Amino acid sequence: MKEYAIDVPVEPPKELRSLFIPIPPEYVEDVYKSDDFLILVGPQHPGSGHMRLIVRVRGDIIQEVIPDPGYVHRSMEKLAENRLYIQNIPLVERPAIMDAANFNLGYIRAIEEALDIEVPERAKYIRTMLAELCRVGTHLYDAAILAVFLGHTTGFMWPFGLRELICEALVRVTGARFTSSFIIPGGVRRDVDESTLKWIYDMTLAMEKRLKSFERIFIKNPTVIARLKDVGVLSKEEAIKYGVVGPFLRASGVEYDVRKVEPYEVYDELAWDIPVSDEGDSYHRFLVRVNEIGQSLSIVRQCIKQMPEGRVISDQIAENGSDIRGAFYDSLSDIVLPAGEYTTLTEGARGTIIYSIISDGESNVPYRVRIVSPGWLYLRGFMESMKGERLADLQAIYGSFGYFPPEADR
Amino acid sequence: MDEFIEFVRGGPLGPIKKWGTKWSLWPVHLVTACCGAELAHAFACGYDGERIGALNYGIARQTNLIIVEGAITRKMARVLKITWEQMPDPKFVIVMGACGLQGGIFWNGYHLVKPSDVVPVDFYIPGCPPTPEALLRGIRQLQDKIVTGEAKTSATFPEIPLEPGKKPRVLPRSPKKISKAPAVIVNVPRQVEWEFGEKLVEELKTKIEAKSITITGKNRIAVKVEKDAIPKTALKLKEMGFDHVKNVNVIDVPNEDKFIVEYHFSSYSVKELMPVLVNVFADVPRDEPKVKSLATMFPSADYLEREMHDFFGVIFEGNPWTGRKFLLAPDAPEYPLRKDFKLEEEVYTR
Repeated sequence: MKEYAIDVPVEPPKELRSLFIPIPPEYVEDVYKSDDFLILVGPQHPGSGHMRLIVRVRGDIIQEVIPDPGYVHRSMEKLAENRLYIQNIPLVERPAIMDAANFNLGYIRAIEEALDIEVPERAKYIRTMLAELCRVGTHLYDAAILAVFLGHTTGFMWPFGLRELICEALVRVTGARFTSSFIIPGGVRRDVDESTLKWIYDMTLAMEKRLKSFERIFIKNPTVIARLKDVGVLSKEEAIKYGVVGPFLRASGVEYDVRKVEPYEVYDELAWDIPVSDEGDSYHRFLVRVNEIGQSLSIVRQCIKQMPEGRVISDQIAENGSDIRGAFYDSLSDIVLPAGEYTTLTEGARGTIIYSIISDGESNVPYRVRIVSPGWLYLRGFMESMKGERLADLQAIYGSFGYFPPEADR
Repeated sequence: MDEFIEFVRGGPLGPIKKWGTKWSLWPVHLVTACCGAELAHAFACGYDGERIGALNYGIARQTNLIIVEGAITRKMARVLKITWEQMPDPKFVIVMGACGLQGGIFWNGYHLVKPSDVVPVDFYIPGCPPTPEALLRGIRQLQDKIVTGEAKTSATFPEIPLEPGKKPRVLPRSPKKISKAPAVIVNVPRQVEWEFGEKLVEELKTKIEAKSITITGKNRIAVKVEKDAIPKTALKLKEMGFDHVKNVNVIDVPNEDKFIVEYHFSSYSVKELMPVLVNVFADVPRDEPKVKSLATMFPSADYLEREMHDFFGVIFEGNPWTGRKFLLAPDAPEYPLRKDFKLEEEVYTR
């Protein structure tokens, strides 16, 4: 077939500068000359969260994806330098409010490590239980958002119905649906009574039963498998190279979980497994998290069964061991960390959370707080996994990573 | 055309149009921050916002309501404005969350704007985050506003009469104590029981030309090197099995006129090294902050370096993005995390 040259002047749009596209004009020109297309996905897009993806496609095969994050950058690290240590507790849980307990835990553990505070056993169990409840909640949230990305409305409704149970459990324990700020240096704010623990125990059983229906509706649904299987594959070597974290790393075959590698709280006293898969595609990234929900529910039940009696606030902090009310500000407002750097690793729902507190040893505000959230760490691997896939699969890969911009941008 | 619009709004069809608008409020899918989690709950099966005629929809051209979910950053403000301009008339804005009111917990952040400066706001829903009930109540109030034409608050507050002050009130002092000349030491040695660590330090000492190698805690090692020796040290660590960078950090120390640049290395492939975090750090002069980038050797450090360049202006030579903003908005202040960039101080009242 004879090719006809069409004499239409093709040139990059003139509004490049006013559109605030963060890539150099030469790159855009290069794309136009080599017969590729640049497609801007976002920031306002029908999925969840907003970031801009600048996708370079040839035909409909993705050649390169350049992220444009920072739409939810709320300057958390700078604000943390200007507040008392305890004023930062609500601040550090705002990156991912559905995962509040894990985000709190990392920051609090850094303070406790610096001050050598011994946490009572009962408080450790309550913290572990909260962290696991938040993990289940976050995985359900991500499953729902994945369903939105795939256009599966029932798959959105079902996990959010289950999430109501998690919210109810958090309300009964902490008083808040999301942002509880319940974990404080030296323990937790209040003790949990027996009837609440009983309710949570029963809730986990009910949730397991309902997850079976969810499996039938969404997880084992042939259309879902067709959309996700063998899409966005990240091999083990790539995952290590790009520093992917959390369930997405385990889906690529690396057996790394901070809870096992560097156990904190009571994780080494409980029996649980790390779900791992070798495939590394979108479907297994999702499956690993589904299996983790089962493990987490089992951890919650073990916590409730083995929870000892006793104080929930360390005697180094307050006299009253079961409630901090009335003594919180007096006992904790003036803490000064000894000079040095304190780094903690925490396994959040979406991966490793790193807190690095640098103290000068004289001020009662931190000199610098470095927060690295999982979203920010796996962003590079997320971008690389889309290379070579079709443009129509972009949503499926985006959803399978559960990327939550407020968490990544902090 | 104007006559036609006048007729549709005020003529005999007016009430019908109002009724139609009232029960078909379509919020555009503009998830701006973490309040989106509660918004999703409000439209999921637990609360079912659809029963009052509101359901999220993807495209701005076919929607008539924006629910601003929490914080609006400098970067997002532009998007909010463009989305608002794309929507057909009549259009409404509900702002959800404390960040949208006065900034909330982020009130003095350098990257935040108020939504009311960007678009006209009809209703505010306070809370951090507000519950789904509160959000649905806000939508009900908007429906009332569409019918009656006036916005009313649904909450009632007790009125506290203000007493005219006789003497000027003395404000309490800030509880913050900030050291004037802080000494920032990253590698403070700590005594811990960690046999493998001592062995590892001995091994590192034979392989790396470092100024000092200290154990700063269980599973934490700090290695101080010259700033030009960072790539060389990184290569040695890579040979030992440290295969990714977990964290890149810069600390600004203005009174010693230096930046401390830190790389935290860890391992996924060697089982014994998995919990170990090796902190390789170097002092960099403040007037010429340049270090060699590790982005080609460790791709996992790439985005972290870009972020640190945004925050501190440290130049990572060899990073493809150096000199351009990655995380921050184009109109954000220069190098906001340096210590000489001050935020607005809070005032304590009693």
